[in-house]
Amino acid sequence: MPRFEATKLAKAFDGPPIFRDVSLEAERGLVAVTGRNGSGKSTLLKIFAGLMRPSRGSVALWRDGAKLPENDRAHEIGFASPELEFIDELTATENLSLLSRAAGRPAAARGIGELLDAFGLARPAHGRRVGEFSSGMKQRVRLAFSLLLDPPVLLWDEPYSNLDTHGIDAARTIMNARRETGLVILATNDRRDIEDADDEVSLS
Amino acid sequence: MKSPFPSQAVAVFLRDARRELRRRTTLAAVLFFAAAALILISFSLASVALPPGDRAKLNAGVLWILLFFSASSGLPRSFVREEESGTALALRKIARGEAVLAGKFLFNFLLFLAIAAVAVPLFCLLQTWSPANPWTLTIVLLLSGYGVSFVSTFLSAIVSRAGQKDILFVLTALPLLMPLLLPAVEATARAAADPAFAAIDPVWKVLLSYDGLATVGGMVLMRFVWEG
Repeated sequence: MPRFEATKLAKAFDGPPIFRDVSLEAERGLVAVTGRNGSGKSTLLKIFAGLMRPSRGSVALWRDGAKLPENDRAHEIGFASPELEFIDELTATENLSLLSRAAGRPAAARGIGELLDAFGLARPAHGRRVGEFSSGMKQRVRLAFSLLLDPPVLLWDEPYSNLDTHGIDAARTIMNARRETGLVILATNDRRDIEDADDEVSLS
Repeated sequence: MKSPFPSQAVAVFLRDARRELRRRTTLAAVLFFAAAALILISFSLASVALPPGDRAKLNAGVLWILLFFSASSGLPRSFVREEESGTALALRKIARGEAVLAGKFLFNFLLFLAIAAVAVPLFCLLQTWSPANPWTLTIVLLLSGYGVSFVSTFLSAIVSRAGQKDILFVLTALPLLMPLLLPAVEATARAAADPAFAAIDPVWKVLLSYDGLATVGGMVLMRFVWEG
């Protein structure tokens, strides 16, 4: 089980830092990142995911006492965010299949189908072009993408965006299963998730 | 088990190829540009009387203007489209920059070859120009097209996250591609005038060296471009 470690993170764009001295150390469970709009929740998750460099501080993943190299770390952390988009002209299955192949870890079509099923995307939709999807269906593909390489650490930014109650239940079921075996970090202002979390990083 | 680098690059290529096959916007745009330029060139050069040696040089230069600007209307889109449509984030999260560069280069190189396969025979037909050795000309086009495609793809990665992408691409591409385009024009003129392969010696070695250096440099630097 890898240990996630973020130390004294700060991020500034053109001006004062939007957050500073953010630290987190966790191995498993649920961590809620909270804060008002514009407080930097999504930015912090991108830094955790290795998609953005912090202005100060560092992020590391440790396994058996050794720090994982950046390339390996990227595959150990799954990421879903409303900013993720998929190619409109490809089907949901094609998008996920080609991304897993591009990562060097090709997933079987059956595995991708089961992943999309788990998030409640109906079977006939798997073979439809993403450009024809509703915003809720796209959100299900984003969540499935985060689990594509079966990572021990999951970063979900506003995971329930555009989901109906069935979709929210499916996402919560998976989140609760994953927090038992690994680490789930949510950027959220959902009261139920905040109360349920093992730890909280507040950016307010 | 982790699959090898070429397989990762092919997956990136297949993303672009499938999108293009279902949409056909890039191919249609570059072929339309090439056809329009070809017609204008044919009309304007039809009445120009030149000695055969000068005609070969003029044709070589005009052919490369046609190929370069047709390709420039499509090649820079590879990374820019990913950024503009928001699909780059998923790719950046999951794939190595070098594999993405290789896959997108492969797509762009095939796009360049498709442009050349249509434009060069039509150009020869409309200009009543028959190259002395089509095979030598093909080698020149392959070597030069490789360089144009690779450097354009790499520059596309650099400018994709900047503002004023189009003008930035042109401003950076011209000085970087000039050392390739000048020998390409020279080699094309020689291949058109002389049937012997020796006619393009040593220019083909210059083209090959450029391709090699561009590939190594691009692959080494791509990690920094991709991770930002």
